[in-house]
Amino acid sequence: MMKAIKMAFITVLAFALFFYIGAPRALGASSEVLRISFDAGDILDLHPHFAHTTQDRGVVHLLFTGLVRYKTGDIGKFEPDLAERWEVSKDGLTWTFHLRRGVIVHPWKDNPGYELTSEDVVYSFKSAADPKRSAWAAEYAGMTFEPVDKYTVRFTLQKPISELLFLPKVADYAGGLIIPKKPAEELGEGFRTHPVGTGPFIFNKYLPKEKIVTVRHEKFYRGVPKLAGVEVFFMSDLSSRKFGLQNKELDVIEGPPSQPWVEEMQALPGVKVNVFGPGESGVLHFNMTKKPFDDIRVRRAIAYALSRDEVATAIGKAIAEAVYSEIPNPQPGWITRDELVQRGKKDKKDYLYAPDRKKVKKLLTEAGFPKGFTTEISLTERGEYQVPMQNVVAQLRESGINVKLNVVDHATYHSNIRKDMNTIVLYNCWRPTADVRLTHFGHSSSIVVTGKKPITNFSHVGAVDADGDGKVDNVDSLIESARDMLDAKEQLAHWKEIQFKLLDWCIAYPVFIKRFTFARQDYVDWGYDLKSTLILSPQINELTRTTK
Amino acid sequence: MIAYTIRRALIAIPTLFIVLTITFVLIRIAPGDPAEVRLGDYASKEAVEALRKEMGLNKPIWIQYLHTLKDLLQGDFGRSMVNGRPISKDLIRSLPYTLELTLVGIIFGAVFGIPTGVYTALKRNTLADYIGRILSLGGLSFPTFYLGILLMLAFAIKIPIFPVVGAGDFSNLTKNFYHLFLPGLTLGLIMTAYVTRMTRSSVLNILNEDYVRTARAKGLTERKVIYIHLLRNALLPITALIGIYAIVLIGGSVMVEIVFSRPGLGKMMIGALKQRDYTTLQAVMITFTSFVVLINLITDLMYGLIDPRVRYK
Repeated sequence: MMKAIKMAFITVLAFALFFYIGAPRALGASSEVLRISFDAGDILDLHPHFAHTTQDRGVVHLLFTGLVRYKTGDIGKFEPDLAERWEVSKDGLTWTFHLRRGVIVHPWKDNPGYELTSEDVVYSFKSAADPKRSAWAAEYAGMTFEPVDKYTVRFTLQKPISELLFLPKVADYAGGLIIPKKPAEELGEGFRTHPVGTGPFIFNKYLPKEKIVTVRHEKFYRGVPKLAGVEVFFMSDLSSRKFGLQNKELDVIEGPPSQPWVEEMQALPGVKVNVFGPGESGVLHFNMTKKPFDDIRVRRAIAYALSRDEVATAIGKAIAEAVYSEIPNPQPGWITRDELVQRGKKDKKDYLYAPDRKKVKKLLTEAGFPKGFTTEISLTERGEYQVPMQNVVAQLRESGINVKLNVVDHATYHSNIRKDMNTIVLYNCWRPTADVRLTHFGHSSSIVVTGKKPITNFSHVGAVDADGDGKVDNVDSLIESARDMLDAKEQLAHWKEIQFKLLDWCIAYPVFIKRFTFARQDYVDWGYDLKSTLILSPQINELTRTTK
Repeated sequence: MIAYTIRRALIAIPTLFIVLTITFVLIRIAPGDPAEVRLGDYASKEAVEALRKEMGLNKPIWIQYLHTLKDLLQGDFGRSMVNGRPISKDLIRSLPYTLELTLVGIIFGAVFGIPTGVYTALKRNTLADYIGRILSLGGLSFPTFYLGILLMLAFAIKIPIFPVVGAGDFSNLTKNFYHLFLPGLTLGLIMTAYVTRMTRSSVLNILNEDYVRTARAKGLTERKVIYIHLLRNALLPITALIGIYAIVLIGGSVMVEIVFSRPGLGKMMIGALKQRDYTTLQAVMITFTSFVVLINLITDLMYGLIDPRVRYK
């Protein structure tokens, strides 16, 4: 019998040896192909006007470009891209974009590709404005798009808006990514898993639940990409991503927002970590329709019971920092700590809510909760929510406020909070402009369930008495007037005023901003200085290369 | 035997029907739906409602159920509610990865587990027996995903000979098996632990039977006693249990596919569950159930091959 066991063992070893010797070397991939792995099981949707997950956006931005683009690696500035230049009429209602010539659409099926013209651009924006063909249609409501000539496109607006609000709509993000007309029409539904664009890389192959293969676009208008291609892997297990990086099967991996992980990766030889913005800001939204959060004293007591710095430290010093306003750093319109303090002194109000146990006790006693109270909320199982919320819960417990967490899966959490089931909602997100953010979280039309266009106004601002004077309070007109302002300085000041009001009412408590973390081989050169990118992962463009 | 097989296949129909119904109801009761997932948290309620309508989710649940039944009876799994791809196409791609993984696990378990189980039974209460029992107990206690991670650490990092990324396609079998080795070993080691224990127990049960004693008394070599008299009789319960553990192994393959990023049915199922992809989840569950039914049937049929006394009625 021992002989049988030995034989079996030898057979398996022989098989292993045979396959090891016979298999093409997967370890140490081609230096010209970049292999990146995301924390995902698969793609969701590669149609750029629907793509919203990290992995989808990571792929989509290899393949598509926009009329203008956020400066690569630094979202604070805009640069010409498919459009060489643009001008706006004096009344601010007409924007005219002049297209770059010689932009070649990727080949698809038997079609060799063709030159992108105004017809494609108009088609793309009409598609982005159609709720059936885009998740971002609301951004383009009231706009019309027309070709002036082969290389000129005109946008006509119902109301003028500032450059600060208009350019993000036509930039290389979501609805602003240009879908060429012919492949979109020809491929139909298939476009979602076989995208065709104008970006530096061409879609080549999709292996469901495994990877996407792209190859460089030799006719890319900014020059031939340095990489021969990019392979995007979907690996939801963190350990296997790390091992893949360690044995050089992968060049770049997505990490969790975790300080220990960053430190572990930094300790690996030949590995570098990128922590970059803008990140997602975490805000605690208080549901003012539910007791005891209808009482401003209770909301303020919670704010005084919390230390933002402590939450940020719990997430990780390298990853997170405290935020003090609804609009987070570095989005135009954000408020610094010093600004809050200065303005507080001037108004004789406290917008900062620095931790103060005495004030907590006093406010809770006044509100009729001298011994504190208990509330129950649901929370997603995801780490980026669990870590900060567990810290919040621990801090509140010290002040007698007990928050019981019902942990659910992510889809359930989003469903629950949109059904107005939580008393406190922790929401991590980034929104493309201050206007979108304030509208979604502060305008009465956005109130969950009951708003005209319900989205994420979890606090019910605009439908309840927020300041405790017995009258319903809202900031609707302030948000709308800020939207219509054409002067950037005036607009920024107006957005700040709205936020001071919301902070005074304590409808929500901005806590932290959490950056994104990716680890890479030290031979990967992005080709630019990576500070921030809207696509939630490092942009891989024509300048990106490997130097191994 | 043919009549028996047909009858068993027919019995599978209500099983599949019940699984479909339970899956259909449970996934729809769970909060969240594919429209919300597909459009993301930025989308307006109007957009989500419009997509729900397009997906047919606004219809009463019993109408949705009838539509699903009708499609399935026509052999059509439909399209994924999240990415719009034909589900059958994805199933055809994923199925072989799960099948080969499970099959390797079973073969590995049988090849190592049966001889080890027999050996430890014959050497009862010796050092070899103790070691075998401790190792098999360890194997049973190890979570599959943890064992997978340890094997990756050992054979992809410390001794970098096997890959952790990709599954290899079937056009290059050598490469495919190269990628299969570590995940197969993970499941195989777990299966070995199961098979070793049950083989040992089964052999011990018949070790003192009269026919074994008689075989030895009439002067047969130990080799003949083991292979002809002992093993043949021990195989019946072993076969039954291998069938049961093969089903357990299919469940275990889900975790292995996640850890090793293999594009199999397990990964497909978890993805569909997270994304509330109703149609895909239903299709995967039916496929899994079909396999469980099939394995049970094969196990039953194997009885007859091993033990001529078994008759199918």
